[in-house]
Amino acid sequence: MGGVFPNALHVARREYLIRVRGRAFAITTGLLAIAVLLLVLLPTILTAIGIDKPPRIAIAASEAQLDADPVPLFTTVLTAANDPSGEGASDEAPSVSPVTDTDAARAEVEAGDLDGLLIISRTDDDELAFEYVTKAGPTSQTRILVEQAASSLAIGERLEAAGIPPGERAAIFAPPSFTTVTPDPSDASDSEDFGRNLAIAYILVILTFMAVITYGNWVAQSVAEEKSSRVMELLITAATPRQLLTGKILGTGAAGLTQYAAILLAVVVGFLFSGSVASMLGVEASAVPQLPELNVLGIAALSGFFLGGFILYSTLYAAAGSMVSRLEDVQQAAAPLMFLAMAGYFSSFAALSAPDASWVGIASLVPFFSPYLMPVRMLLADPTQLEIGIALIVLLLTILGAIWVASRIYSAGVLLYGQRLGWRNVLRATRVSR
Amino acid sequence: MSLVVESITKRFGSVVALDDVSFSVEPGRIFGLLGANGAGKTTCMRIVLDILRADSGQVTWQGKLNTKLPRDTWGYLPEERGLYARMKVAEQLRFFASLYGVEPATAEAEITGWLDRFRIPDYRDRKVEELSKGNQQKIQFIAAILHDPDVLIMDEPFTGLDPVNVALLKEAFLAMRDRGKTLIFSTHQMETVEELCESIAIVDRGKVVVAGTLRDVKRRMGRQVVRLATDGDGRGTQWLDELPGIEITRRGEDYVELHVPANREPSTILREALDRGEHVTRFEIADPSLEEIFVEHVGHRSTPDEERHLADEPADAPADEPAAERV
Repeated sequence: MGGVFPNALHVARREYLIRVRGRAFAITTGLLAIAVLLLVLLPTILTAIGIDKPPRIAIAASEAQLDADPVPLFTTVLTAANDPSGEGASDEAPSVSPVTDTDAARAEVEAGDLDGLLIISRTDDDELAFEYVTKAGPTSQTRILVEQAASSLAIGERLEAAGIPPGERAAIFAPPSFTTVTPDPSDASDSEDFGRNLAIAYILVILTFMAVITYGNWVAQSVAEEKSSRVMELLITAATPRQLLTGKILGTGAAGLTQYAAILLAVVVGFLFSGSVASMLGVEASAVPQLPELNVLGIAALSGFFLGGFILYSTLYAAAGSMVSRLEDVQQAAAPLMFLAMAGYFSSFAALSAPDASWVGIASLVPFFSPYLMPVRMLLADPTQLEIGIALIVLLLTILGAIWVASRIYSAGVLLYGQRLGWRNVLRATRVSR
Repeated sequence: MSLVVESITKRFGSVVALDDVSFSVEPGRIFGLLGANGAGKTTCMRIVLDILRADSGQVTWQGKLNTKLPRDTWGYLPEERGLYARMKVAEQLRFFASLYGVEPATAEAEITGWLDRFRIPDYRDRKVEELSKGNQQKIQFIAAILHDPDVLIMDEPFTGLDPVNVALLKEAFLAMRDRGKTLIFSTHQMETVEELCESIAIVDRGKVVVAGTLRDVKRRMGRQVVRLATDGDGRGTQWLDELPGIEITRRGEDYVELHVPANREPSTILREALDRGEHVTRFEIADPSLEEIFVEHVGHRSTPDEERHLADEPADAPADEPAAERV
């Protein structure tokens, strides 16, 4: 009877205003925005307060009786890794200092004043032996670099013993030509792009999951609240279930997008101001993260999946909310949806590490998973435009089906009070609803 | 062209909530729907409003099926009161008016008019949760009629109101009727029905047991009530017991009440008394009261459902049809 609009808009408007005016909304949005802003500025701030300071190591080489001082070699290796441009300020450079008192140096490592102490000695057969004292784990970059420098020192000595003059050593150590090639020339994304896209994919998956869970629950709570306060009988007399359902999803979605817009604004502000914050704190600008380049069509498709995922899940959340009489029961009714959303969430983490796997290709077309998996593929693998189109169309059709099913469950559910929760009851009731 | 309910049947699982229910309501009249708790009144109202669909039968208003009528034909005051607790009164009323497509300016004028009429203009910008139950009920009544519906359906509109507010609501009913509106309501207060309604239907266990104008219903009872008082105490009228067809329903110190079958002229009782030399101080012929008619058809008195309201506080108890809706 009649179209969905304008009543859906009246419902959406009320829903949006009630949501956005609430104190909880203002506090959550504010906290999220501040958290995101801090996250963006974190690298700059960390550098400024010195947590990310250059490594300091000591070398005790008196026992080894080396021909040359090892300090310049270690300094070069550590500096090259820490400051590829090679023009770092003097106080930012790694420090390598020769020591003779190993016990004192050990104590300094213990106290955290030194990152490591390298003791160089000789074995019985006159080979170099290294002992590195450090609190850093095996993944510490400094530790890996020290090991590299140590082996080149040892190899250099062996080369000299084999009679190769020092002048030829540079040629021997020069890195070979090494190029990475993908079978498909069109996705010749370099590794820097891949790393950035991986980060974006992570963020997208998390944002999608949060939107589905948080805003889906808002919808379910709001429906259950109208039912338990019995205002529902007035609503259902004034408007059709489809109008109420559509309005509820639009209103809640708009409130959710408002929150996301605030977060996005914080990100942009963070990127825009991280330069000036860096100079204010006296940190070099190269440490500041850069905003990625944006592709309009890709952004549109990604937004489509995000919005589609939100609408699909919140439609079903609305149906779940209409099945319960009390607010406390909402979580229970929505549990199957929660599992579905979590399945998509976790599978997308698996997909992040294997974006080209064939199961990812198939699952990225399945409507309840495509909002997570297709964006991951779009960023990390290379789905064809046909695949993206199919996933979007399937998602859209599923949404239409979900709205139809949900509004039948809704119109039956909203007038059922005091029942044990059960899909069977609701399904039976849908047969007699309008 | 009236509101016609034709042979409506509604089952919830194995329970028959409404069984071949028919009645009609003339436009511009006030109609009373009576029945014990669980008789099927709320289900019947929901079907008329098309928020529930009947298994068979149909409802028409002015010759059109209710499923084809625009939603603003109806105004509904549900039995279970409910509004958005944290919304302000005027804002809330504007929202409901907008759902019925009322222009904002019209809605504003109507809201002001009705708040004044119910003597609560100061509550305009108060949150609903700050209002008393009685005042919330008045707000809900306003929400049901802001869009000027042709038919106003109200489920127990008087329960929970104090006498002053009952009087205000009755005045509002009559004002609506004078604007040509049709009103249907259910209640347990038989005096209110006798005072306001031209026609009634009594529903018992899903069936209409009596329907028609109040006058016809009383006539069709097929008997009259006679109240007789004589000098001397009530025990002096033992001879009444011997009169054929007469049923004594009350024998008090002050008067004796009798049911006289329709085929017997009540004045013969008076003649008999005078012939026996009684000194008659009171002789009264009356129609049976609605309460009596109700008891006769339903088998017990109509009781308000206060106890049930207390019992269903956590809002999980069924509405009007406990057995019926617990499918």
